[in-house]
Amino acid sequence: MEIYLPIAGMSINFFLVIGIGGLVGFLSGLFGVGGGFLLTPLMMMIGIPPAVAAASDSCQIVAAASSGAFAHWRLGNVDFKMGLVILLGGITGGTIGVQLVKVLRAVGNFEFVMKVVYVLMLGLVGGAMFVESLRTIRRSRGAAFDPAVAAAPSEPRLAKLFARLPLRMHFARSGLHTSAIFPFSIGTIVGIMAALLGVGGGFIMVPAMIYIIGMPTIVAIGTDLFQIVLTSANVTLQQAFVNKTVDLLLALILLMGSTIGAQFGAVAGKRLKGEQIRILLAIIVLALTVKLFLDLVLTPADLVSLAPAKGGGH
Amino acid sequence: MRRLAILLAVAGWALLAGSEAVAVGETVKEKVLTAASKNLVEIGLSYRGDQITFFGLNPVPGADLVVRLTAAKEEDIKLSVKGRVGPFWMTVKQYEVSGVPFMYKIHASKPLEQILSPETARELELGYEAIRDRMKLHLIRGEAAAEDADKVFKGLIKIKEDANLYNIVTDPARLEVKEGRLFKHYFRFPPAATEGTYQVESFAFQNGELVGYGKDLIEIRKVGLEHWLTYTSQNHPIFFGILCVVVAMGAGLGVGFIFRKGGHH
Repeated sequence: MEIYLPIAGMSINFFLVIGIGGLVGFLSGLFGVGGGFLLTPLMMMIGIPPAVAAASDSCQIVAAASSGAFAHWRLGNVDFKMGLVILLGGITGGTIGVQLVKVLRAVGNFEFVMKVVYVLMLGLVGGAMFVESLRTIRRSRGAAFDPAVAAAPSEPRLAKLFARLPLRMHFARSGLHTSAIFPFSIGTIVGIMAALLGVGGGFIMVPAMIYIIGMPTIVAIGTDLFQIVLTSANVTLQQAFVNKTVDLLLALILLMGSTIGAQFGAVAGKRLKGEQIRILLAIIVLALTVKLFLDLVLTPADLVSLAPAKGGGH
Repeated sequence: MRRLAILLAVAGWALLAGSEAVAVGETVKEKVLTAASKNLVEIGLSYRGDQITFFGLNPVPGADLVVRLTAAKEEDIKLSVKGRVGPFWMTVKQYEVSGVPFMYKIHASKPLEQILSPETARELELGYEAIRDRMKLHLIRGEAAAEDADKVFKGLIKIKEDANLYNIVTDPARLEVKEGRLFKHYFRFPPAATEGTYQVESFAFQNGELVGYGKDLIEIRKVGLEHWLTYTSQNHPIFFGILCVVVAMGAGLGVGFIFRKGGHH
């Protein structure tokens, strides 16, 4: 069944899009991480223009993260003050990012820069995850292994360092008295990445909140979801204003797929060990990194390509 | 007397059909009568291109037929040219290309060079060479090189052919002519063929001379949700952006309510 995407300006197999959404949802349900960083490259591979892929992905993230954010808010897991500081950074970063997308599209190198950033980010995340899970598997083979100890965060030494910076604030829900500079900065970086890559950035934000800012894990997850909804909403709004590249239909089909996929992923996740799941994800991420890297260095089949028209996503 | 009647008929028809007919030439020609299976294509949710069949009557039995499909709109497009920068391939220059048709397809019952001379083909704009003549390049970024015009032209044709917006088919099976008079063929409008007016022109040639001409107009337009989404996103982007966020949040919360969980992103 074909479906016509009005903003992407192309017709595409409905089940292929639902399938990609489902696959990413399954992986996010299985691994417990966001799938935004996989969604954009996969959509590009099936022919969706990169700028439309990234912008529609942001819209999909608003939907996918909102129910989780709402649930965590009701459970009292959201540190609103911290969330707002990060959000201010996210809005700053998102605004810069959307303008960056505009400039890069105009000079014809948006796809190139996007792929470079993806290669760096996925390579780093995939590599770190691979090494960490391999180490855990090796350790678990040894007799004296206590998973509770291994899972506990190490002493947040960086947290002490960043807490000494100026602009110190009290964050009651997290039980912290720390500088607002770092949360704002990490929010800005993630905001730029959200616009450039169409990612939520949870896989960077949550570890940063736990290990660098020193927040309790559950509050970090709740606060992250809260700020992701609003940062992605800002990026979606601006992509719609500035680049006119949000395909609402595409976002809704992806949401449908990812929601169904996430339910199956969560069930499958219970049957696998944590480190097995992580090494699997690391392999997927590294394979994607290699594919994107080859796109950058191998001679392209076509040296002449269509640059985006003014204002439109197609 | 017959000649005068034809002249009057053609002149009258030319006035009705618009200026295009005059542009084809002032020479006497018969009308190629054609009928399309439909003249309106609607882009809806399930649009995946469309196929329109054309039936025609060759005014001069046995004359060779060439049928051309073009979009009424011309396109100003920007093309990026990639080059090596260190180990990477990236855009190193950009050209603005004007004067080229958005869509260009030709059907003929045999190769064009066997039907008409290259000069006539150029004059009537039949064949890719005519597009090369019309194409205007304007460098907007990077440094120009001597071979760019050829590279950009070939790249443009490839991009258009890949999107099924351009092709030249000279296959008797595709343009069936029965007893030299009745002919039938079809054009495929790909998903990339967006809104606008398209014209299908039929040319009849005898010994390389144009002896007949006819034209059909096809309209493609977005309807329903597709029309609304495109129109709103392009003309009311602020409203559209807010709508996207509200719909996404509503859908997300709805899904969370159904599955009683959520939280991936």
